[in-house]
Amino acid sequence: MRRNLLATAAVAVAALSLAACGTTEPSSDTPAAADKPAGKITLTDHTGVKVTLDGPAKKVVATEWNVIEDLVALGVAPVGVADVKGYTAWNTAAPLTGDPKDIGTRGEPSIDTVAALAPDLVVATTDLSPAVVKQLRKVAPVLEVTAADAADQIGTMNDSIDLIAKATGTETKAAGLKKDFEASVAEGKKALEDAGLGGAKIASADGYVQANQVSVRAYTGGSLLGAVNERLGLKNAWTVEGDKDYGLATTDVEGLTGLGDVQFTYVANDADGDAFSGLAKNAVWKSLPFVKNGNVHRLPDGVWMFGGPRSMEAYIDSLVDALTKK
Amino acid sequence: MAVIENTAVGRDRTAAATTGAVAVAAALALLVVVLAAVDITQGTADVGAAEVWHALTGTAEAGDASVVVASRLPRMVAAVLVGVALGMSGAALQAVSRNVLASPDTLAVNAGSYLALGVVAATGTTLPLLASSGAAFVGGLAATAVVLGLSGLGKGTVRLVLAGSALALGLNAVTEALLLLFPQQTEGLYRWGQGGVGQNGFDGVAQMAPVIAVAFVGLLLVARRVDALALGDDAARGLGVPVRGTRITTVVLATLLAAAAVTLAGPIGFVGLCAPALVRPLPRRFRGLSRSRVSLPVTGLVGAVLVLGSDVLLRAVVPADLAVEVPTGVVTTVVGGVFLVVMALRTRDTAGADAPDRLRIPGSTAFLTTVVVLGVVLAGVTVGAVLLGDSKLLLGDVVNWAQGHSGRVVTYVLDTRVPRVTAALLAGAGLALSGTLVQAVTRNPLAEPGVLGVSGGAGLGAVLLVTSVQAPGSWAIAAAAFGGAAVASSIVFGLAARGGFGQNRLVLLGVGVSAAAAALISLVIVLSDPFDTTRALTWLSGSTYGRTMPDTVPVALVLAVGVVVAVTRRRELDLVALDEDTPRLLGLGLTRARLGFLVLAVLLGATSVAAAGTIGFVGLVAPHAARALVGRRHVRVVPVALLLGALLVCLADLVGRTVIAPAQLGAGLMTAVIGTPYFFYLLVRTRR
Repeated sequence: MRRNLLATAAVAVAALSLAACGTTEPSSDTPAAADKPAGKITLTDHTGVKVTLDGPAKKVVATEWNVIEDLVALGVAPVGVADVKGYTAWNTAAPLTGDPKDIGTRGEPSIDTVAALAPDLVVATTDLSPAVVKQLRKVAPVLEVTAADAADQIGTMNDSIDLIAKATGTETKAAGLKKDFEASVAEGKKALEDAGLGGAKIASADGYVQANQVSVRAYTGGSLLGAVNERLGLKNAWTVEGDKDYGLATTDVEGLTGLGDVQFTYVANDADGDAFSGLAKNAVWKSLPFVKNGNVHRLPDGVWMFGGPRSMEAYIDSLVDALTKK
Repeated sequence: MAVIENTAVGRDRTAAATTGAVAVAAALALLVVVLAAVDITQGTADVGAAEVWHALTGTAEAGDASVVVASRLPRMVAAVLVGVALGMSGAALQAVSRNVLASPDTLAVNAGSYLALGVVAATGTTLPLLASSGAAFVGGLAATAVVLGLSGLGKGTVRLVLAGSALALGLNAVTEALLLLFPQQTEGLYRWGQGGVGQNGFDGVAQMAPVIAVAFVGLLLVARRVDALALGDDAARGLGVPVRGTRITTVVLATLLAAAAVTLAGPIGFVGLCAPALVRPLPRRFRGLSRSRVSLPVTGLVGAVLVLGSDVLLRAVVPADLAVEVPTGVVTTVVGGVFLVVMALRTRDTAGADAPDRLRIPGSTAFLTTVVVLGVVLAGVTVGAVLLGDSKLLLGDVVNWAQGHSGRVVTYVLDTRVPRVTAALLAGAGLALSGTLVQAVTRNPLAEPGVLGVSGGAGLGAVLLVTSVQAPGSWAIAAAAFGGAAVASSIVFGLAARGGFGQNRLVLLGVGVSAAAAALISLVIVLSDPFDTTRALTWLSGSTYGRTMPDTVPVALVLAVGVVVAVTRRRELDLVALDEDTPRLLGLGLTRARLGFLVLAVLLGATSVAAAGTIGFVGLVAPHAARALVGRRHVRVVPVALLLGALLVCLADLVGRTVIAPAQLGAGLMTAVIGTPYFFYLLVRTRR
């Protein structure tokens, strides 16, 4: 019995070794750098790391949805992105171009897969664990972008797009994107003022429902949506304090009672379900002034709340539509 | 019993006893009312005591009134219902199993229900509350049946807790895997899985209250038969009580209560264990409480006090906005863990260590063959682990890489893959050796670093560091893990040593400490950074993700020291594992030897956790399987256990990162799935 086991194991290992001999790449090393243009690009990313590229990056991998969006908006089709299915459901403002490979989850992208893609550049955010970034740096130059900063969300968004544009040689496109965003803000602001909503109080939120419990996530003034709201001349009604990166806070239905009469907008996605539709029969919800006055607006699917200029333009359009619709 | 009650003296006594019991019940009810009153003044809305008073007297503003009616009152009623249900469920389960440690937690009812709800959520079906409660009931009942069936009724307190905890670990691992695989469908289930009593209106309460009421009445109806069971099966049969039928009915009703509680509030930990234990000493003073018909509702009231009290405490200590994020179940679990430790110290532990496994002693050829076979298989798996992954490589690639002239892609892939394989191999071997030492010192074949709280403590220490410091180094993480493990193991082993490492006490202490550590870990994660939990969570699922070579240095060093010590001190280990007297007769400093081996075991456990996260069962399975293969002598057990441990974790890691690539599951989840059935096999085999 044991002897048999031993023999089987030996044969198995031998077979595996024989079958696995040889290599998956050509035997001779062919340094590919020779045919690259000489124009080297040197950048300093948001963590202060110097990143040197042989030229504008063409094969780019991105690990977070906001930088994926930035790349797509800049006309660079990424070769690898995290969670293709999720991105497709949550971000329709900048649909994926090309046919990027799925590199796994946003929190734990597969370094194996990234390495196999042999990218010129990996764009990651500061949400990725430093140990993983360190490993990715061995695979390719890594541009680490601040994920979010409650002190200045719009500035962070613009810095990210500028940095990614420099790395991919698409600065003109970036300037265009920023200009479009500003135009969209100005247009939206005017539309709201025309509708008599200048300085109106607004509270943006999303939420989860599980079993019989609802938690509401508040987009405070420190969040990206909150910052855009303020640029549109609206006033943030949340009094809860958000976290220092995303400007988000958690509360429950009770916590909405302090808002007063506001415009309440929320984000949901058919992929996940609508937490607020479950509140229709809740007495607290029904007693809220903004619910009574019909000022609750569900924003359309596919506007990524932590995205780039494209998402925010889509957000402004949908917000103005929702608020001015009679 | 019935005879005594019919005499005049009996009636008098019964009357006096009933008065006492009524007084206790009334005092408890009053306490529930006071806590309930405090509870409804707490919350995120600006509705305090004054507004609540106005609302209750009908003079409040509409908004305030609706907060009280639709949010505060349902939450309070849910807390009371859940407490009553869990308390009664625990009391009933303890009565029929004649086991003071039976409860919805230790019988894995909660874990079974949680998994059932996870499966429902993952398949994307949205069920009405009653139907999902049905699913929870089926899951809970199945889990209870497995645990009670395997551990046997009446005997083996420890076996019950071990079987239950092991099944709960395994089931929770599967649920966690579902959460990772179906993140969209199961959104929010993780947080709910910690237990919270908040409610969206009265709907849930209104639907679950009748279920709980039916089970409540049912239990009261069988209460007299349950009392008869306490006299022993034969005596009960003599009184004409259908033993089997009573047991089954009671377990079904108790499971129904627990499932209703899970549906309403998620798994709220340890209430079903603590409430009956608090009531147990009372009948000595209030004799009326010795009858189940009285003690069951009283236990329910104590359960309500525990849940409400935890909720009040949480909202009083933590700011309102954060209190929304912290599930009440975390508080009850921490309280329950401490409680278990106290209980362990108070129970007189008469059960000695298990008799040594009666194993045949294989010859040295068999030992050599085993080592060679395992070595070959391990080599094969290691090679496979290096070659397989998202991009499949061939051996020639590895040869090129080792000689430093592989191409770009292969270099990168192997640079990241090899440290993961190394971490898995070393952590597996480290946990196996740790388990071998612990089992020898405690002379307890079921002891394990995970079950005994060492891994939990290490995890807590490491998570505290990971969440509070930006990018800590590998030595810092290892040190923090060791700090946590040292604290946890000082509690467990320090307190257990007083009773000469009695089995019951050791396991109770361990389960209590690991439960409290797990709850504190969730608390730290929720409070430190509610929107970036990936970092800490990844880590806890026992993952080698993102490991680099330097991360494996601490465990490699400690493992090297451990192997040297285990080999040079192999005779001492044999003696320590043998019995209490032989080492003394031979002039061995037993206490010092034990302490030394334990410190080494804790170091091994902690560095393994630092390298690959909390991986369960390896420390239990590897040494045990080694003993079964090559006998009890440590000179043979140690090398075989090392090989088995490395093999198990390496294989689990390989499966976890290839089967659903490019997404991945932690090795800890895989070992739990493999380890649970093996653990049950051990329990069945050691059944006497």
